[in-house]
Amino acid sequence: MRRWRVELSVPTAVGGAAAAVAAILVLYPIYFLFQAALNVGDAEAKPPVEYGLDNFFALGRYWEILLNTVTVSLAATALALAFGFMTAWIISRTNVPGRHVLEQLMAIPYYVTPLLGAFAWSLLGAPESGFLNQAWRALGGEGYLIDIATPWGIAWVMALFEGSVAFVMIGAVMKSMDPALEEASQIIGAGRLATMLRITLPLVAPGVLGAAVFVFAEMLGSFSAALVLGLPSRFYVVTTAMYQLVSQYPPRIPLAAAMGVSLFVVMFAMLFVYRRIVTRRSYVTITGKAFRPRVMDVGPLRFALLGVCLLYAALSVALPLLTLAYASVQKIAVAFPAAANWTLDNYRTATTMNAVRSALGNSLILGLATASIGVVLMGLISWIIYRSRVPGSGIIEYIVMFPQAVPRLVFAFGMMWAWLIFPIPIYGTLWLLLIAYLTVFLPLGIRTISGVMLQVDRSLEESAQMCGAPWAYRIRTVTMPLLRPGLMAAWLLLFIASVRELGASILLMGPNAKVITPAIVESWFASSAELTAAMALIQTLVVAGAMALFLLLTRRASQLSPE
Amino acid sequence: MTRDGAVRIEVENLIVRYGAASAVAGVSFRVEPGEQLTLLGPSGCGKTTTLRAIAGLERPSAGLIRIGGATVYSSAQGINVPAEKRGLSMVFQSYAIWPHMSVFDNVAYGLRVRRVGAREIEAKVREALALVQMAGFERRPASQLSGGQQQRVALARACVFSPQVLLFDEPLSNLDAKLRADMRIELRELQHRLGITSVYVTHDLEEALAMSDRIVVMREGAIEQIGSPADIYNLPRNAFVADFVGSANLIRGLLRADLAADGLAAVETPGGEIVYGVTHGRPLGPEPTFCVRTVHLRLSPTRPAEARNVWPVRVRVCVFQGDLTQAHVAWGGRELIVRGAAMAPFAEGAEAFLSVDPACCVLLEDS
Repeated sequence: MRRWRVELSVPTAVGGAAAAVAAILVLYPIYFLFQAALNVGDAEAKPPVEYGLDNFFALGRYWEILLNTVTVSLAATALALAFGFMTAWIISRTNVPGRHVLEQLMAIPYYVTPLLGAFAWSLLGAPESGFLNQAWRALGGEGYLIDIATPWGIAWVMALFEGSVAFVMIGAVMKSMDPALEEASQIIGAGRLATMLRITLPLVAPGVLGAAVFVFAEMLGSFSAALVLGLPSRFYVVTTAMYQLVSQYPPRIPLAAAMGVSLFVVMFAMLFVYRRIVTRRSYVTITGKAFRPRVMDVGPLRFALLGVCLLYAALSVALPLLTLAYASVQKIAVAFPAAANWTLDNYRTATTMNAVRSALGNSLILGLATASIGVVLMGLISWIIYRSRVPGSGIIEYIVMFPQAVPRLVFAFGMMWAWLIFPIPIYGTLWLLLIAYLTVFLPLGIRTISGVMLQVDRSLEESAQMCGAPWAYRIRTVTMPLLRPGLMAAWLLLFIASVRELGASILLMGPNAKVITPAIVESWFASSAELTAAMALIQTLVVAGAMALFLLLTRRASQLSPE
Repeated sequence: MTRDGAVRIEVENLIVRYGAASAVAGVSFRVEPGEQLTLLGPSGCGKTTTLRAIAGLERPSAGLIRIGGATVYSSAQGINVPAEKRGLSMVFQSYAIWPHMSVFDNVAYGLRVRRVGAREIEAKVREALALVQMAGFERRPASQLSGGQQQRVALARACVFSPQVLLFDEPLSNLDAKLRADMRIELRELQHRLGITSVYVTHDLEEALAMSDRIVVMREGAIEQIGSPADIYNLPRNAFVADFVGSANLIRGLLRADLAADGLAAVETPGGEIVYGVTHGRPLGPEPTFCVRTVHLRLSPTRPAEARNVWPVRVRVCVFQGDLTQAHVAWGGRELIVRGAAMAPFAEGAEAFLSVDPACCVLLEDS
């Protein structure tokens, strides 16, 4: 009779093991991050011999960096929200032409990434050599039109790409609002403007506020735009300052750790506030029903609004990619190249250079491994959190969502320390990067999978159980096929995110195991902008190709299946 | 699929707690072999939790569950057999038809789990689909079925592997009224033909009365009454059952032992009316309550011949409702509801006579 207990615990054991692995992955580096931040004795001693808060007090001397961070983040948040709110309102609430295509289009900036944007906008807006400033002078202007290597330039680039996140968040709120709420106001006799001011805005306000807090937290932790645009002019934000402190000689590890911990605490608080706002909002608009939001007829103005959306897409997608393409086929990138300046050498160099080829190969291997292992690991964790009734699953959810509140650079910092003293020598190898990716992408994978999992009614699994199917059989025949769209999406997202990861990789990769994105950044600072543009485009093409291949294969697979 | 294999279910002192709250607070009952038992009650009464505990989908906090003599859950012995090993089957409220499979694959699932040969699967699935009048739908993707068809497929899937017990979790609640009435009869016939022990959960009174051999009425995690549909309807134990199972007037008053006659008990209401009723051997307190079904009251323009339980009343409202006519009458300082199929309509404020057979005035236990 005892054996029933054992059998009951099989699913719990498998899922629990996955959750335990995830918890170790997350908490082990965090512990070392805090340890390093509190180390006030010999920086080389492991474990530290003396603990204290001196590193945090020392941060006061870097008030300028903190001010920079807040200024850039606030400016970028305001701008990103403006982009997001405007496009979300236009697309979900007005009769702008081609709304469905536009909606897809607005997601693309997110995939272009701030790093590519920073390269491109640097080529466009550097005071002397920027294409736009060259054009300005050619038209008779004096000096320069824009300077991208300023706090405002950094905020501009960050906002362009985070605007697409704000669009998705605010758009979801606007779409989930029951149009009857507005109609009721109009029936009672309120005009359009009064309805807008007294009904629509108060209803979407919590959602917009939530998006603002979320975006601000993301901005605080963002790294790549500030690195590319700020480093040459010695303009630092917290993340780039940390990177500088770690990579300079001698490194100032405890100080960097204290910065990381402070940033982590602030972001954690912000995300806590965000969660509070979002959960409190539940009574307002979200009823679990999909509404067709009421669309306002704006007359001929709709073409102007279409123009606004297209302009945003042009600034964040078309212009950066075209700029990179334009620069990549020149010897020295200028706005008005002579015939002799055109060349394909950059591509030849990029594809033949051993360093680049091995880095790209490593990234692809890591992408495949992260995505494949990640889907299994994160699928099991999602199942444990949202399906099993294991006590403590709420705590597991908190732990695995932790990396969300920690910039990847900060996380990698803790990891560097943690795995340096780990008995198995994985430091400087691809294994460490694999572990890092699996850790920092836990929230991404789990959120994607659980989104689908929560839509699959529990009784579909229970009825398989009532038909007598054991756990593994149920998972294989019912759970997995029903979750397939979510699992596939998670695989693809993990693959893309891994191949393009910068913040964690730049600290953790070893000299003999490079990956592509840090290699591209290195090339930007050490080689030429033209070669970098070629490399960045090659990476983008490889990712796009992998995506296309994946979509083709999955479509083929779904056509072959009995449905 | 015969009555011979039917098993008994025993539930003893079942307790299911969620944190501090008890969803089921010590419930005991038995389901006899081949019997159809219904758990009836308002939402949140613990009926579904009880069913899921029998199924093995919910882990109880304490108690004992035996199926066919084998203990499947016992807190004392530390036994909890997983759902898939209990040899039961279940029809879910949401049907839980797998949208990624055909009708055939849905029904064949339980047979494939049991590694039945392909030819036998083919034959049994056909038989089961014919049983629920879905023959010819084998190749249809499950996502293209209507609600009623999904219901039938769910039923076929639940019966096809000859389970020892069938569990039903409000299986008809998502169907429209007419289809529900038809399916009720079909389910009843099917259950009788298969002779499988079954437990049925519903909050719908008519469904419970029509389908069950016995009914367990539950409230707030406890059992209020167990009995045949007729017992539950005609002899409710307390005000809750009387009210939940059909519409009833509750009449409370002081016991008038001096007026008792012919085995009838008499009560004087606060309004001064004398009501005669039957006790069914239940103990009489000083302030007893009688339950009178609204359909047992009669309203007539002239005084009926009976000596007892006849009162002159004034009609306040009379509403024609199709199958029934409902009247509210002023009686002894309060209002009574009368419903009748062949009742002549009364004008508002009309004088009339209200009467009821004392055999239909039933003493409640908790009075």
